[in-house]
Amino acid sequence: MSTLLTHIAVSDGKIKRASLEVLSRMTQLAEANGHTSEAVIIDANASDHVEEVQKYGASKIYTIENPIFKNHQNTPLLKALSKVMDEADPFVFGFGSTESTKDILGALAANQDAAVLSDVSEFELTDDGIEATRPVMAAKILSDNKASGDNILVSVRSGSYDLNESPTDAEVVDIDFSFNEDELKATLREIIGASGDKIDLTEAETIVAAGRGAKDDEGQELIEELASVLNAALGASRALTEAGIMDPSLQIGQTGKVVSPQLYIAVGISGAIQHVAGMTNSKVIVAINKDPDAPIFDIADYGIVGDLYKVLPPFIEELKKIKS
Amino acid sequence: MKFYVCIKQVPDVDAPIQIKDGNLIQNTDRMVLNAYDASAVEEALVLTEEHGGEVEVVLVGPDKAKETIRKALAMGADKAIHITTDDDVEYDSAVYANILATFFEDKEYDVISCGKQSQDTDAGLAGSMLAQHLDLPYATNAVGLSLEDNELVVKRQGDSGQEIIGLPQPCLVTCSNDMNEPRIPSLKGIMQSKRKPMESIALSDMNLDESVLSAKTKVTGYMEKPEREPGQKFEGEPEELAQKVANILDEEENVI
Repeated sequence: MSTLLTHIAVSDGKIKRASLEVLSRMTQLAEANGHTSEAVIIDANASDHVEEVQKYGASKIYTIENPIFKNHQNTPLLKALSKVMDEADPFVFGFGSTESTKDILGALAANQDAAVLSDVSEFELTDDGIEATRPVMAAKILSDNKASGDNILVSVRSGSYDLNESPTDAEVVDIDFSFNEDELKATLREIIGASGDKIDLTEAETIVAAGRGAKDDEGQELIEELASVLNAALGASRALTEAGIMDPSLQIGQTGKVVSPQLYIAVGISGAIQHVAGMTNSKVIVAINKDPDAPIFDIADYGIVGDLYKVLPPFIEELKKIKS
Repeated sequence: MKFYVCIKQVPDVDAPIQIKDGNLIQNTDRMVLNAYDASAVEEALVLTEEHGGEVEVVLVGPDKAKETIRKALAMGADKAIHITTDDDVEYDSAVYANILATFFEDKEYDVISCGKQSQDTDAGLAGSMLAQHLDLPYATNAVGLSLEDNELVVKRQGDSGQEIIGLPQPCLVTCSNDMNEPRIPSLKGIMQSKRKPMESIALSDMNLDESVLSAKTKVTGYMEKPEREPGQKFEGEPEELAQKVANILDEEENVI
């Protein structure tokens, strides 16, 4: 019997849904293969999140609580992750593929001499490791991968697995952790544009994404109104984040966030493969574009060929009626 | 300041791809400088133009990757190291990081940089692996770099905002392609690149232990991604289309 361990990422005081998706998958794999599912919460207020994590089937929950984890910094996070690997000795250690995970995954693998597969969309256990599917070539194709060893790291794309509640009475183990500021190799000077209460794109049920076609003030107002009517998160193509019109944290695509909402509305987005790589797993895709040959129509379930300035006002009105 | 930029030759993701019996068939003429590495080269050039210094690129790859090194030299890098491998090696991120870590053991530098990921595999691991091996302070996913009081100041796109991180040198940084628009080599740059020093080191001469070169992960095959079928495309009066699609989303798809 081996341990399948899941890292529970906390950002802005909230657990990242991607972590709970991985924990749900790990619990399922543990039950099917006679292993144990465990989780680790590393945060300034780690113990506050135990109750939430208990819903997803971990039989043991490690907490590492220290004020240093208030904001993401790679040195203390790596130290904590190494410590929990020593303690829990996991066969597989899973992560939701957040930016913070991407920052440390390679370093942790090098530090622990562990095999690692990043950003997988599916994974299974084998006798000597895992098999996983990864989207490659700008998510145009899928690769099958094998990792072998007795301490494998894997990060999983958000939206790859459903949340699955199976509450347990988990044993909670607080791991003693000290961190001296002198150990910091780098200084976090400040964080700009922290998202705070905004809906996290990777967790959003509905996304309204804007492209080059919606770059002026009027376009931006229409997009915001549409998002507000649908209670949707705002997203952007690279054209708009690069031009400084929308915040870089809103960029969806190969460089940027990978999203999988129920409804994705692409407004004035042509659909370059680098953008499509980040949103092709959406359940329903609606595209509004005045160019009938725009590649976005090749993947959209519903395409509206038309000028967004003419289409959006009646679209917003209609949605308001439906909502009321 | 001395910059080493680690670069990689990768397939052009915009080129047509075929899969035959689980193998990837690529047009080998369409090999390019990894776009993220190109941004790392550009940023190193901008910083050394402003503060003085030297940019040296390092590439691990087969002989045919020389053209990619030439591209970086033509952009303006001062010199290059080519660690040559066989044509058909299948290394994972960890092996590349191991090779580079051995190479850097006896080198002096202020900054090592590279792209945040390869545009073909999108693994995004080698940078932080290398930093760990060399015990360097590092930051990933940089969207801006500057030099202040001997610290490399990195603007990093994090989960909830942009983190401004000060790295004492020597340090390592991985670059997003959002930080700049890499320059297109000028004709003069291309001519000069032919006279710039390019040193080749055969990987077999680096006396690396076999365990360092054996990959713990491997790709066992490729599959077509189930493609999304194009759905319905509507043209006509905006009001009618808006109404129609809104109603479909509400009544048929149930996603409103």
